[in-house]
Amino acid sequence: MLEGGPAPIAPAAGSRRHALVPVPTPRTPPAPAVGDLWLAAHFPRLPLDALLPGNGRERAAAVTDPDDSRGVVVACNERASRQGIAPGMALQAALARVPGLRVESRCPAAETALLDRLGRWALQFTPVVSLEPPGAVLAEVRGSLDLFGGAMALLRRSLAGLSANGLVASLAMAPTPRAALWLARAELAMTVTRADALPGLASRLPLACLHWPEGTVATLAALGIRSVADLLRLPRAGFATRFGPRLLDELDEGLGRRPAPRRRHVVPERFDERLELPGAVETAAALEPALERGLVRLEDFLRQRASGIHLLRVDFLHRGHAPTRLSLPLARMAADASGLRVLLGERLARCRLEAPAVAVRMRSGVLLPLVIRDAGLFERGRSADPDSTARLLDLLRARLGHDAVFCVLPVPEHRPERAFRIAEPGGAAGLPMSWPAVRPARPLWMLAEPQPLDGWDGTFVTGPERIETGWWDGHDVRRDYYVAVSRAGVRLWIFRERPPGQGWFLHGVFG
Amino acid sequence: MNGVAELLRHPALWRGGDAVAPDTIPTGFRALDACLPGGGWPLATLIELLVPAAGVGEVRLLLPALRRLTTAAGAEPRWVAWLAPPHLPYAPALADAGLDPARMLVVRPRAGSDRLWAMEQALRSGACAAVLGWAGGADDRVLRRLKLAAEEGGTPAFLLRPVAHRSEGSPAALRVVLAARDFGLDVEILKSRGGAPARVERLPIH
Repeated sequence: MLEGGPAPIAPAAGSRRHALVPVPTPRTPPAPAVGDLWLAAHFPRLPLDALLPGNGRERAAAVTDPDDSRGVVVACNERASRQGIAPGMALQAALARVPGLRVESRCPAAETALLDRLGRWALQFTPVVSLEPPGAVLAEVRGSLDLFGGAMALLRRSLAGLSANGLVASLAMAPTPRAALWLARAELAMTVTRADALPGLASRLPLACLHWPEGTVATLAALGIRSVADLLRLPRAGFATRFGPRLLDELDEGLGRRPAPRRRHVVPERFDERLELPGAVETAAALEPALERGLVRLEDFLRQRASGIHLLRVDFLHRGHAPTRLSLPLARMAADASGLRVLLGERLARCRLEAPAVAVRMRSGVLLPLVIRDAGLFERGRSADPDSTARLLDLLRARLGHDAVFCVLPVPEHRPERAFRIAEPGGAAGLPMSWPAVRPARPLWMLAEPQPLDGWDGTFVTGPERIETGWWDGHDVRRDYYVAVSRAGVRLWIFRERPPGQGWFLHGVFG
Repeated sequence: MNGVAELLRHPALWRGGDAVAPDTIPTGFRALDACLPGGGWPLATLIELLVPAAGVGEVRLLLPALRRLTTAAGAEPRWVAWLAPPHLPYAPALADAGLDPARMLVVRPRAGSDRLWAMEQALRSGACAAVLGWAGGADDRVLRRLKLAAEEGGTPAFLLRPVAHRSEGSPAALRVVLAARDFGLDVEILKSRGGAPARVERLPIH
C-alpha cells in the first residue's frame, strides 16, 4: 500500500482514473461549512485538574489510570514535569525519579463534571458548543468574532480566563471542528480561517494529535508515517481496506470534505426567579402573596415546557444575614401550583425566619418530562392511585418531618429485635425471599427495648420457644420465649434469659 | 307470624334498617358480622374502638378485614396508614398476617395535635384502604371532621381510644368496647348506625 498508488488521500488531479475504487474521493470539496470557525480548547492536564483544582504548585503530583495495569502516568503538574516526569512514563520510573511524588488515581466522574463546567464556560462566547471527551471543548465562534474584537483577541481572552482558573489549555481555531482539535492537540496555537489552507499544515500535525488507537498509530509508524501529511499521500482505497472507513472519514471531516455534525452541549434548564418583597417582611403570612406569584410563574414555566419537578428550593434572603433555606423534595413529580402551595404552606408554618426577609428566591430542580396518564374509564375513586399516595406522603412529611413517616420491613434474622428495619414506604415487595411459611406466632407490637417484668403472675399460653446465639456480631442472645396473658387480658410475648435467674422480660404485645 | 314475613317482603314497604345499611366489609368473625348492620365493618366512615388497655386484641380483631381491604384480586396491594401507634408495628408479624409491610405506612407525629390532623389527611387523600389511628381525648368537633374526611375519601377510619371515653358523645357510625376474656375478645356494640346495641362474647382472635 505504500507503493503510493496515484490516488492519494488528498484529492489530486488524476485520481479520477480509478473510477472503480470502493471509496471515492468526494468530488467537490464543498461547503467548508460556509464560514464556520471552530475554536478548540484541549486540556492535556484535565485528569489532574479535575482532582487537584488549583493545587499543583507546591508539590510534584501525577495521575495514573487505575484501569491500566501497566501503571502509566496520565497527567502531571508543572513541578513534576520540571523534574523530568511526562505523561506516558511508567509509574515506577516516575517514582524512582521523584520519590516524593504525589500519585492519584484518575476519576472519570470528576473529569466529566469538569468538562461539563468548561462547556458552560464556553457558552459565554457562542451558543454552539460541543464537548469532545475526554479532554476538549469545541465552540463555533465565527459569529462572535466581531463582538470579542477578532480571533486573536478571543483566543487571548479565553486563555486568560482558563489560566485564571488554574487550567492548562491549548487553543486553536480552524474551519472544521476536527482540524481545530488536531491543531490544539499538536499545540499549534494558530488560527486557520480557510479550509484549503489545512492540507498545507498537515506536515506539522503528528499522528498523535489524531487520538487514534495505539495499535493503528504503531502500525503507521512502522510504515514510516509520521505526520498527517504522510497519511494524506496514501491511496484512499487501500487505507480504507486496511484501517477501516471510519478513520478515512475522520480525515475527510478534518479537511472539510465531509460534513461532521456535532452534538450541541445544552445546559439543563431550571426555574430560578427572584421575587422582591414590598419591604422587610417578618411573618410567614406576609410572604404568601410573593410566594403565590412565584408559584404561578413556576406553573407557567412548567406548562410551557410540558415538564414537572421533583425538587423545589425556596430561599428567603435577608439583609446582612445568611438566607433561610427551604428545600421541598417531592415524592411525586409536581407540575401545578395547587399541590406545591399546600406543601409550601405546611413547611412555612413550621419554619422560622431568622431575620426579616427582603426577597425570595425560588428555584426548581432538574426539569423532567411530564408523563400524561389516561384515567381508566372504570377506575374511579377507590382504585389505588399511586399519585394520591405520593401526595399524602409529601403532605405528611412537609408538616411532621421526613422521619415521622416510614414503613417497617422484615429482615430474615432469628433474633427478634433484628428481624426488621425502617424503610422508605412503598418500596418493592416487603417480603424477603426466604420467609418461613410456618413458625411460632410473633407479636404485632415490638417494644424498643425489652422491659423487666417485676412480679410476673400471668398465665402462659404457649412456649418455650428457644432463640439463641448471635455471637458472630457481638449481640449474643440466649432466651426462652413464651406467649402469655397478663392479668388485664393483654396477650404478651415475654422471655427469660438462659440460664434462668434474671427474671422475666416483656418484649412484645400481640395487639 | 307468616303473614308478617310476607308483608315485610312487599316491595312498597320501606324499612329504615335497609336504607341506612352501609357498604360493609366482613369482619372475618361470623358471630360479630351477625350483629353488625350490613354484616361487617362499615366502609367510608368513622369506627370507634374503645379498649381498656393497648394490646387486648384490637389489632388482631381488625387483621382479617385489613387483609381483605388491601389485597383486591389482581390489583396492587393497597396502603394502610397506622397513625401514632403505641409501639412500633413488628414487620415479621405483619407479613405473617398476610399484610404487605411495604404498604403499611407508619406515621409517628411528635406533637399530639398533629395526630388527628395526620389522620384527617390520610383519610381525605383516599390513598389508603384503611386508616388506623390511636388517640386519647378528642372533642366532638374533631371526631366530626374525621368522619367527614372518611366519607370524603371513601376510607374506613378505625379510631382506637381508651375505654374511659365511652360515656362521651361521638359522631362515629359504629362504637364498640373491647375487653379480653378467656383468651378471647368480648365485643360490646354501644352504637351502630342502622343497627341495635349488641354484645358478642369470646371472639376467637388469634
